[in-house]
Amino acid sequence: MTLLADLATPVVMGILLGGLYAVIALGLSLVFGVVKEINIAHGDLVILGGYFGYVAMTMLGIDPIMSLVIGIPILFGIGFAIQKYLLNRAFRISMDATLIIAFGISIILESTYQLVWTPMSRGLTTPYALDSISVGPVHVPLVYLLDFIAAIVVMLFLHEFLRRTYLGRAIRAAAQDRKAAHLMGINTDQVYAFTLGISAAFAAIAGVFLGLTFSFTPVSGMAFLIIALGVIVLGGLGSIVGTFVGAIVFGVVQTVSGHFFGVAAQMLAAYTMVLVVLAVIPRGIFGSR
Amino acid sequence: MVAVRRDMKAITAKLRGRLVPLTVITIVLALLPITGIPRVWILYLFLFFIYLAMANMWNLLAGYSGLIFLGPAAFIGLGGYTMTIMTWLDIPYYVGIIAGAIVAALFAMLISIPVFRLKGIYFAIGTLVVPEVLRYVFMLWKPVGGPLDGLGRGYPVHGIIDVSRVEVYWLGLAVAIGSILVVGYILRSKLGMGLAAIRDNDSTAESSGINVFNLKLYSFVIAAFVTGLAGTIFYIYQGAIEPRSAFSVQWLVTIMLATVIGGEGTEEGPIVGTIVVVLLYFLLARYAEISLIIQGVILVGIMLLAPEGIVGSIKKTRAYRHLTQLASRH
Repeated sequence: MTLLADLATPVVMGILLGGLYAVIALGLSLVFGVVKEINIAHGDLVILGGYFGYVAMTMLGIDPIMSLVIGIPILFGIGFAIQKYLLNRAFRISMDATLIIAFGISIILESTYQLVWTPMSRGLTTPYALDSISVGPVHVPLVYLLDFIAAIVVMLFLHEFLRRTYLGRAIRAAAQDRKAAHLMGINTDQVYAFTLGISAAFAAIAGVFLGLTFSFTPVSGMAFLIIALGVIVLGGLGSIVGTFVGAIVFGVVQTVSGHFFGVAAQMLAAYTMVLVVLAVIPRGIFGSR
Repeated sequence: MVAVRRDMKAITAKLRGRLVPLTVITIVLALLPITGIPRVWILYLFLFFIYLAMANMWNLLAGYSGLIFLGPAAFIGLGGYTMTIMTWLDIPYYVGIIAGAIVAALFAMLISIPVFRLKGIYFAIGTLVVPEVLRYVFMLWKPVGGPLDGLGRGYPVHGIIDVSRVEVYWLGLAVAIGSILVVGYILRSKLGMGLAAIRDNDSTAESSGINVFNLKLYSFVIAAFVTGLAGTIFYIYQGAIEPRSAFSVQWLVTIMLATVIGGEGTEEGPIVGTIVVVLLYFLLARYAEISLIIQGVILVGIMLLAPEGIVGSIKKTRAYRHLTQLASRH
C-alpha cells in the first residue's frame, strides 16, 4: 500500500506534465498530419512564446497567461509567414529541402534569441508559480494543473475547429489528399500557411505554460522539440488523440522513473521507452496502417 | 575470389582519372605542416579534414542511400568517448581510434533495429532522438575517474602529451582522403549500383531482387565507422571530451551545411561545401554571436535558390555539359 501511496504523486505529476508536452506536441502533430512536414523549428517557436510571456511580464507587467491575447496573433502571423514564404516553396523542391530549411530557421531563431535575450536561463515567476494543491496524499504544483487544463482546452478547440469550420474542413481535406483538395477548389498553399499559423499559435500557448513550469534558455527549443517528437512517435504520427495519449505516457514514464532512479535518469528512461516502442510497434500506439 | 579481384580492377580503372590528382593533393597537404606555415592554418586544415570525412559519409547516407540521418553526433561522441575511456585504461590512443570507430559501427547495427523500421521523414526524426539519449547516458555514467570527473563534466584524453599536432593533422588527412576513396569505391561497386536503384525507386529495386534493407544497412554501418573514426581523431586534437558538445546538434549543422552547400548527391559536393564552411568559420571567428545566424541564412538561402548546391548547379550549366561532351570524344 505504501508503494501505491508513494507512487500516487509521481503518477499524477506525470499525467499533468504530459499535459504540457501535449500542448507542445499538438502543433507539431497538426503540421505533420496536414502538411506532412516536420517543422524542426517548432520547439524554437515555443521558446519564442515563452520569451513573449517573459517580455510581457517583466516590461509591461501583464500576467503571462493574459498576454497570450497578443502573443497568439503574433505567433500565428510568424508561423503563417514561414510556411507561405519559405516552406511552401521548399515543399515543391523536395521532402529533404523542407526538413533542412526548417532546420535553418531553427538555427536562425536560436541565435537571434541569444542576441536579444542573452544566453541566460529565464522563467516566468508569477505570484502563483510556487502554489501547490493537495488532494489526499497527492501534492502537485498549481502550474502543473494549469498545464493540463491548457492541454484539454487546446485539444478540444482543435477537435471542434477541424470538425465545424470551413477552414477546418479544408485542412482535413488537404491532409487526406492534396491533389483532390486542390481540384475541389481549395487553395492548398493557403491552407498549409493557416495550418502552420495555428501550430505557431499553439506554440505561443505552449511557450507560456512551459515558462511557468520550467526555466528555459535560447537553445531549449531543440530539447523540447525532441520530447515532442518522442511524444508524437509514441502516439502515432498525425493522430491528435494519439499525441495526447503519447504525451501522458511520456510524462508518466518520466516522473515515475524519476521517482525510482532519480531525476538525472528520468529523461533517459523516457527516451529509451520511445526507442523500444518504435522497435515493437513502429507506427505508435494510435498509428494508422 | 577471382570475381572480387576482377571487380576491384574494374572499379580502380573507373577511378583512375581521379586517383592521380588526389595523390598529388594528398602529398602537398601532407608536406604542408613541415614547411612551417602558421599554426592557425594547420588548425583550419585539420577541421577541414574532419568535417570533410563526416560530410562525405552524410552525403553517402542522405545523397545516395535515401537516409536523412540526423544523428551523426551519436557516432562522433561514441567514438570519442570509447577512445578517451581506453586511454584511461592505459591502452594506446591509436588502438582507441580503431576501437572508437568499431564501437560506432556496432552501435549503428544495434540502432538500425528500431530506426530502420521507419521510412523517409520518420527515419529522420527517429535518428534525431538517438544522440539525445546518448547524451543523457554519458551525463549519468561515470566510467573512469579524472581531474574533470564524470557526471556531465567530461574527461581529458589521457597520455597524449607526446602526440604532436602534426601527427594528428596527418591522421585527419588520412581519414579525409580515406573517406573520399571509400565513397568513390562504393559508388562504382555493386553496392553503389544497388543504392542508385533504391534512390530512384525503392519498390522497383526491391522487385528486381535488390535487398533494400541490407544495402542501406551496409552504407549505414560504413558511414558510422568512418564518422566515428573522424570523431575520435577530432577528440585527440581537442584533448578532452564532455557529453554536451560531444552529442551536440552543432555537429549536424556543420555536416549538413557542408553537404548542402556543395551539393547533396554529388561526389565533389562535400569537398566544395566543406571548403566553404571552413572558410566561413574562419571569417566569422571574430563575430561569434552572429556566426550561427549567417550559417542559418545561408542554409535556407542555398536550399531555396540552388537546392542542388554549388557542384550540382555547375553540372547543370550548358558550359559544363559541353566540356564533358568534349572530354568523352577523346
